[in-house]
Amino acid sequence: MKSFPFIYNEPREFLSSLQPKEWANFFLGELNPRFSVTATKAKVIEVKEETSDSKTIVLKPNWLWKGFASGQHVPVTVEIAGRRVTRFYSLSSHPNDKYLQITVKRQKGGLVSNFINQNIKKGDILELGEASGDFVLTKELPKDLLFLAGGSGITPIHSILRSLQTLNYTGKATLLYFVRSYDDIIFKSSFDSMQKNSNWLTVHYVFSDIPKEGYASGFLSKEILETYVPNLKSSSVYVCGPSPMQTKALSLLEGLPVKSELFLLPGQNVGKVKKEGTVDVFLTLSHKTIQVKGERSILEELEEQGIYPQSGCRMGICHTCVCKKQTGSITDLSNGETSQLGEENIQICVSRAESNLELEL
Amino acid sequence: MRTISKKLNKEEIEAFGKEVDTLREEVMAKVGKEDADHIRFIYKTYRYTEVLGRGLIHFSFEPISFVAGTLLLSISKIINNMELGHNVLHGQYDWMNDPRFNSRTFEWDIVCNAHQWKFYHNYMHHTYTNVLNKDHDYGYNFTRLTEAQKWKPVHLTQPFTNMFLAMNFQWGIGAHGYRVEYLETPKKLRKKKTLNDYKALFFKKIELQLLKDYILFPALAGLNFPKVILGNLLANLIRNLWTYAVIFCGHFTENAESFTTDEIVGETKAQWYLRQLKGSSNLEGNNLFYTMTGHLSHQIEHHMFPDMPAKRYREVAPRLKEICAKYGQHYNTGSFVKQFASVWKRIIAYSFPDHIASKVMGKRKKFLEPTIVLSQPSFQVSLPSEEKSVTLT
Ligand code: FES
Repeated sequence: MKSFPFIYNEPREFLSSLQPKEWANFFLGELNPRFSVTATKAKVIEVKEETSDSKTIVLKPNWLWKGFASGQHVPVTVEIAGRRVTRFYSLSSHPNDKYLQITVKRQKGGLVSNFINQNIKKGDILELGEASGDFVLTKELPKDLLFLAGGSGITPIHSILRSLQTLNYTGKATLLYFVRSYDDIIFKSSFDSMQKNSNWLTVHYVFSDIPKEGYASGFLSKEILETYVPNLKSSSVYVCGPSPMQTKALSLLEGLPVKSELFLLPGQNVGKVKKEGTVDVFLTLSHKTIQVKGERSILEELEEQGIYPQSGCRMGICHTCVCKKQTGSITDLSNGETSQLGEENIQICVSRAESNLELEL
Repeated sequence: MRTISKKLNKEEIEAFGKEVDTLREEVMAKVGKEDADHIRFIYKTYRYTEVLGRGLIHFSFEPISFVAGTLLLSISKIINNMELGHNVLHGQYDWMNDPRFNSRTFEWDIVCNAHQWKFYHNYMHHTYTNVLNKDHDYGYNFTRLTEAQKWKPVHLTQPFTNMFLAMNFQWGIGAHGYRVEYLETPKKLRKKKTLNDYKALFFKKIELQLLKDYILFPALAGLNFPKVILGNLLANLIRNLWTYAVIFCGHFTENAESFTTDEIVGETKAQWYLRQLKGSSNLEGNNLFYTMTGHLSHQIEHHMFPDMPAKRYREVAPRLKEICAKYGQHYNTGSFVKQFASVWKRIIAYSFPDHIASKVMGKRKKFLEPTIVLSQPSFQVSLPSEEKSVTLT
């Protein structure tokens, strides 16, 4: 530690302890809840019903919004019963649009997706993070494009197609959109008009649950690909949808250039583990020892017991939940690797307790 | 200390603990938006009072606005330390997942470093409430409050040292913090972090506080600087006196009991609850008063449920009182004046040797007498040597 006078040795730390940003945020927030110097806050301009279980939220962000590329996603933070919760959503609008938009489909048991569908209304404020993700168009556009979308996986693809439209794409693009029924199609009118006004895009809807005359039905299969995608062999593929569809697609499309984006709920990427007994987690800052099973992420297991470390994305992206592990071993859920016993920083949202742990919490 | 409570047998204690647990669960299940709104309102009040207070002090050219400014700044500091800081640092609002109200990121307007405070307050004081030699808040190192502490002539001065402590309370809190952290570190680990490391953190925080209140803001006022220095000094003084009064009422009223390290060996959760009850005392008042004490007016509830959003203590209190009545347990409460007087009665009584003290305080009942006479407790201003510190095994 540097010594006296601290202000001379650590001027930055001193300045920040005067909380200039907190003060600024507070008073800006009093003027307009959208204003801030550190957080990208966005006001809900409009809520559009897409289908019976999905809504599009149109957002006006503040000056901190840095923009995005079609196909990227953004962390969205909402407050539910006083608690801030973050999830990632793809932006479904075009980067040049005046406002941003996300489209959220209710997930069974999904806390945030249901909350957004039920409670978000015009005038509300949501907090956004920075857009990220490489599910985007390549610099050089391929001649043949195939888009495979499943359910709400259509959102980034909608944005990408709109980009292609403004770029005056001259190749051929096919969209296969797998959806439960005719009524579940999101952005139908938008696709219809794009198709009508272009000669590069062909859209096929495939219904998995309720068939409709004149449309294909079933799940992704070799036959469907062969029927609807004449130029399959030369296509670059974008896949976005639930994980069974992704797995299927990857096996069917071997050898082709594929970009995929998986839509998961937090905790879904965790291969469920069953364990006998418990391990002790000692929280060194609060001097508490608690028993966890080591079946799910440490974050979830702590929350279950009423301890709430800070968290954000809950899927290992944002590093909000990083904490120092002093001893013990964990398994990194993102790659299944088991760590050493020594001191290191871990993300507790994607770490599972393997042995007794000491965490700086 | 005499106990006015009924002595319970094992089963009764466990049954008592169960009822308290049920009460806790019931109330915690309700925690949500209402509590989030409350703490945001408190935060807002703290920011506005500080800006207004400082503004008035800076631009005051007559006494009225100066006094108003100083009072507002005192209120701001009190809110910052108590309803906001104390409660946030207990983790009462961690569930909100908002860095402004998170116990890991919060720092407060007081010379005491939040991390150090969390160690000796959240952990040491709340785990070992009123246990001699373990709870370093007990008398803040130089106040004798029970026969179990051996009388020395120096204790005659404790009414005066306490007045001094009251005026400089934040320094008392900050300065004993780093020492406690050092003392409670297992000896083997002390080499890793020396007393000086702990001290440095404290000094850093002091430097910041002094700089802010006595150099930065006065400098901003230009020629008006003496007024700003005076205003800050007074605001800190008022805050100190207030927190001292509230906090001393919490544990040192005449009926608040103390314990020995032997009594808590193998303590169950239910016994711990009971000790929190016996070692704490409440203050009665209106809602504004409760908020200004950071709900330490509900010290008993706070000690039983330190991580429950503090405003909930208001609804917990009557129900807890009922449970206590059912089990014949004394629920120590009274008006601020009554409790504060009783604290001072105790401070003065125990400044004298036992035969005088016990006359003033009345006889203690036998079963609470410590079974073992402790070696010299570490209640001195100077650093106790290694042998004197007691470690629980
Ligand atoms: S919460 Fe985002 S990385 Fe863990």
